[in-house]
Amino acid sequence: MASVELRGIAKSFGRTTALADVSFTVADGSFFCLLGPSGAGKTTTLKTIAGLAEPDQGTVLFDGVDVGDVEPTHRNVAMCFESYALYPQHNVRDNLASPLRSPRHRRPEAEVVKRVTEVATTLGIDHLLDRKVGALSNGQRQRVALGRVLVRPADAYLLDEPLTHLDAKLRASMRAELKLIARQDGTTTVYVTHDYVEALSLGERIGVLNEGRVIQVGTPQEIWEQPATVFVAQAFGKPRMVLLPGAVVDDPAGGRFFRDVSGSLRAPLPEGADVAVGTQLQAGFRPRDARVLGPDAAVPDGHVAVRGRVAVTELIGAQIEVSVEVDGTLLAVVGDRARLGQVAEGDRVTVVVPAGRVLMFEHGPEGARIGP
Amino acid sequence: MTDTASHVTTQHATGVARRRLGRVLTTVGLLAYFAFSLFPVVWMILLSLKDKQDQLTTYFAFSPTLDSYRAVLGLGDADAGVPFLRFFVSSLVTSIGAVLVSLLIGVPAAYAAARFSFRGKENLMFTLLSFRFAPELVVIIPLSVIYPQIGLFDSYTGMIWVLQLVTLPLIVWILRSYFEDLSPEIEQAALLDGYSRTQAFLRTVLPLVKPGIAAVSLLAFIFAWNNFVFPLTLTSSNAQTVTVGSLSFIGGNEAKFNFTAAAALIAAVPPLVLALSIQRFLVRGLSFGSVKD
Repeated sequence: MASVELRGIAKSFGRTTALADVSFTVADGSFFCLLGPSGAGKTTTLKTIAGLAEPDQGTVLFDGVDVGDVEPTHRNVAMCFESYALYPQHNVRDNLASPLRSPRHRRPEAEVVKRVTEVATTLGIDHLLDRKVGALSNGQRQRVALGRVLVRPADAYLLDEPLTHLDAKLRASMRAELKLIARQDGTTTVYVTHDYVEALSLGERIGVLNEGRVIQVGTPQEIWEQPATVFVAQAFGKPRMVLLPGAVVDDPAGGRFFRDVSGSLRAPLPEGADVAVGTQLQAGFRPRDARVLGPDAAVPDGHVAVRGRVAVTELIGAQIEVSVEVDGTLLAVVGDRARLGQVAEGDRVTVVVPAGRVLMFEHGPEGARIGP
Repeated sequence: MTDTASHVTTQHATGVARRRLGRVLTTVGLLAYFAFSLFPVVWMILLSLKDKQDQLTTYFAFSPTLDSYRAVLGLGDADAGVPFLRFFVSSLVTSIGAVLVSLLIGVPAAYAAARFSFRGKENLMFTLLSFRFAPELVVIIPLSVIYPQIGLFDSYTGMIWVLQLVTLPLIVWILRSYFEDLSPEIEQAALLDGYSRTQAFLRTVLPLVKPGIAAVSLLAFIFAWNNFVFPLTLTSSNAQTVTVGSLSFIGGNEAKFNFTAAAALIAAVPPLVLALSIQRFLVRGLSFGSVKD
């Protein structure tokens, strides 16, 4: 086991920049999730840690020691490739046993058999051991690839979207299984995903990557409640956070507040924020934090309100998703049917949100969050 | 109603008839082409079975004899006095030798060209390719001057060396595309499993390009075996190959076309046997199942 640290990693392939500036630290024995859209540089980051991609700049450190000159074979990391990268000429058993039969990690054959059976049982592929990998479904191949990682102890596990090709039910159970394995073994794990639910549920810490840069690193709670930028805020949660553009205005009663362009939302600026009058900002909140009230309802204490008209309602089981149109922007509100009450399309409504749940961002899609 | 139905049936019937006619014409056409392209071979077989009197006739009626084969192979009294077996052995040694040397150099070269980027890679690859499309006559004059001087004239080593011009580009270029088709992540997985680069290559990559190696070796062997210009100019007797050696039956005071035919047919046996025995390796798709599809 080891801690993994990346310092200022940059990597280009020809003219395309894969990584512009990637730095983060994964503490020894912790589970780190790397989240980002496709093309953000997640896989390149993993391969850099493994030594399979040589960074143009920056250093990779294991336990504080620069491993730049260490060959992949000797880094003692195990990686689950997004493409699986199984050995097609071998059956499942030999694929799983491959690390334990290599010169570097060789174990007695009896132990190999025992370990392979254990891992295969955990992953639910023990009935496939004698099959060629070509005869497996994508979901089964993906589990073989994951098994080849888990079969041997390593300083770090690097998992590149290891659950994407499993069906929803299996994915949920494998996610729980992985969490359990990670906690038991205490192996440092870097887990790449584009699924925010996986990141939030598995990661002790999460790094958000976009266009080759780390936008934010933090605990799931920090990422959720204090997203660094609009990008991070919108990368987590479904439906995603909606933003209302507006500006800072002077309060005749003293101080300043935010008013959206329609003029219907007035929200206090975050504590300690010093923003000049006239600055363009955008306000956002999570759909689950909002409630829908009647058009003339009084705004509860400590809440901000915005008025609009219901454009669409969607019933999803006990949940209801309401889209409220505010001056051309659709605001999503999600909640229990009982809590949101009966709203019909076309109704005039007031959407209320606790003032503390409203986040303010600078202008633009990469706008940084204002406030502590 | 019935009118329309019968109308439809008639149309359907003509459609079937037309398709059947098409099939018949295709078959006839293929048979004609088959006869056309195989006729020279048939003629050679007939010629090889004729005796000296009949060899220039075009009759199909003659009493077949295996005398030509006996003469060529030097069996019994019929010996034609030409060391055909030695030519045959020379051909085998030089062709197989050339292919083996090319594989030894070409497999790593193809792998390097497929996997790594290095300065001048494409120029090097193009130079190699140019050996294939430049006529052999371009190099033959300097070689025929140099070879006697450095003692390579009429030697196996010299022939194997010069045949690299034929076999190496083929092997490098074809195997390169086989290596490029393989996902580099398979080797990367092997590296992380704890295998060295060499072991990863031998254990995971090489088995997957086996069909490619089989196919290209066969092709290279055939090209080397059939080569005429190099043995003609760079050998005299010791390393003379069958392609050139078969012609010795035509020289002298009388042309023995029936012997030449027999010699050529015997010379066609090794490539044929090799092609048939290697056939089962000539299937692609061994890498199926390794990566996501």
